[in-house]
Amino acid sequence: MTIQPLAPETPARVVPVCLDAPVVRNQHVADRYWMLRLDAPEIATGVRAGQFLLLTASRTPADGPALPRPMAVYDVDRACGTVDVLYGVMGYGTTQLTTFRPGDLMTVVGPLGRPFEPPAGTTRLLLIGRGIGICSLTLLAREQSEGGREVTAVLSGRHRRAIIGADFCESLGLDIVQLRDDDESSDVGSVRHLLAGRHDPSPPDFLATCGSARLLALSRELGRRWRCEVQVSVEAHMACGLGYCHGCAAGEVGRHEESPLVCATGPVFRVR
Amino acid sequence: MGATLSRDGDVDLSVPLGPLRLRNPVMPASGCFGPELAPLVPLHQLGALVTKTVFTAPRSGNAAPRLTDIGPGALNSVGIPSPGLDAFRARVLPAYAAHGTPVIVSIGALAVHDYFVIAEGLRAASFAAFEVNVSCPNLERGGVSIGADPHQVHRVTRGVVDRAGDRPVIVKLTPNVASVEEAAHAAEEAGAAALTVANTFVGLAVDLRRRRPVLGNGTGGLSGSGIKPLVLRLVWEASRAVAIPVIGCGGIATTADVAEFLIAGATAVQVGTATFSRPDTMRRMIDELPAQLSELGCRRVTDLIGSLRP
Repeated sequence: MTIQPLAPETPARVVPVCLDAPVVRNQHVADRYWMLRLDAPEIATGVRAGQFLLLTASRTPADGPALPRPMAVYDVDRACGTVDVLYGVMGYGTTQLTTFRPGDLMTVVGPLGRPFEPPAGTTRLLLIGRGIGICSLTLLAREQSEGGREVTAVLSGRHRRAIIGADFCESLGLDIVQLRDDDESSDVGSVRHLLAGRHDPSPPDFLATCGSARLLALSRELGRRWRCEVQVSVEAHMACGLGYCHGCAAGEVGRHEESPLVCATGPVFRVR
Repeated sequence: MGATLSRDGDVDLSVPLGPLRLRNPVMPASGCFGPELAPLVPLHQLGALVTKTVFTAPRSGNAAPRLTDIGPGALNSVGIPSPGLDAFRARVLPAYAAHGTPVIVSIGALAVHDYFVIAEGLRAASFAAFEVNVSCPNLERGGVSIGADPHQVHRVTRGVVDRAGDRPVIVKLTPNVASVEEAAHAAEEAGAAALTVANTFVGLAVDLRRRRPVLGNGTGGLSGSGIKPLVLRLVWEASRAVAIPVIGCGGIATTADVAEFLIAGATAVQVGTATFSRPDTMRRMIDELPAQLSELGCRRVTDLIGSLRP
């Protein structure tokens, strides 16, 4: 599996900002997932689907966690100037995030990274996400469906309540496929069979994926089958989000050349 | 670099660093900073800029994961990827030089001789000072063993000083030693103009379920506000052991931290991990330092340096 940087960007990315953004809401949604809404017009106006934010979960500089948490922008309301982040509570940092109440200020840096870039002329998109990785695809789903394109969202999770984004995609009127581990519908063989059956007659011209190595491999295979562009949003531990710390190199260690940085060259890469 | 008074005009933030005079004592730590921060940090206001450590040949760095955090401490094993000396001169250094702030070039090597090759190779380039990194804990070999051996510290320092021309040479010491004074003495005697105290502490994070190290390289270097008391002690000891200035580095996250390090004996400070969560940390420190000095009854940063009472 190789991932490659996307071609040089057009138009250029908006310059990231650092804000102490008021928390508008921060609520448990389902399973381990919480929804955070920040009042951040400077970010909301420029952010593009697939870009991410760095959220600072520490209350003061002397507290932990020491590193910010990279989070996909789940949704945005450009008119109201808010950005939504759906996060999974996994450890110390994300547990700290749950302590923020409406009105609290949270330090946030963004928008960061490269967005998804469906090729010009794309009319049909297939989005395949699993778990928290679905959050990298939701804004793309909104923008593309509102732009009149046909979007199918394949949403995978451990069980029904752990499938996130289903309500969101439903509200957009998307074609939705839900996959679960507890009824074995998320098994890759079944998914391959299902998607080939659904899309072979009129394949998508863009496939985006995030959140699962197995679904990434399947996406690559389907991309070849349908000769369509495949892009993946890669997740990584990060510190700076801008590229200067080199903490998030994406791949194998070469002898002399560093593999691409997820934060600066990605998080969206082309799959070959 | 002339002395710069703060906005209200009655507090002098400038500090002497060997032959240099910095407009204020706040600068980034090597590896935790880059020109990529220009949209978020006013680089023209900082006391100095410090580059990521450059090596003679390109280096790819260590295996992922390279980062994790444990409370207020960050553990990294990035392994200093470097574009190598030629690319550094052509592409990297000019991006640092464009901000009207003195540039300190951090140099590293796995073998003593390579430090001299780099110093030689940078002779014609334009920058303010060298910082000799003899202390990265994440290299295949060399970093720690060079910094932990006072004889090697002396040898490397002398060799770089001999090739540095008029440029001051700062030596960045490791905290992973029994006695920081010995390495400090060695660097001073070999002609160092200043010391940076210190680099990260070697640590290990364990993935409980997998029973493996969290980091791809096994061990890593611990930084962040969790190490502040450890580094304050090292700065205090090193600054009393030598006559040259000491730059404090490790766990500095607030303006009060800056003042504490100055009082403990630092002449300037480097800010690293704090910038990750709060990119505006250094700007805030520079803005708040005049009020912090006034509160402590001082009009000059230099009044605070080494003023720790017994």
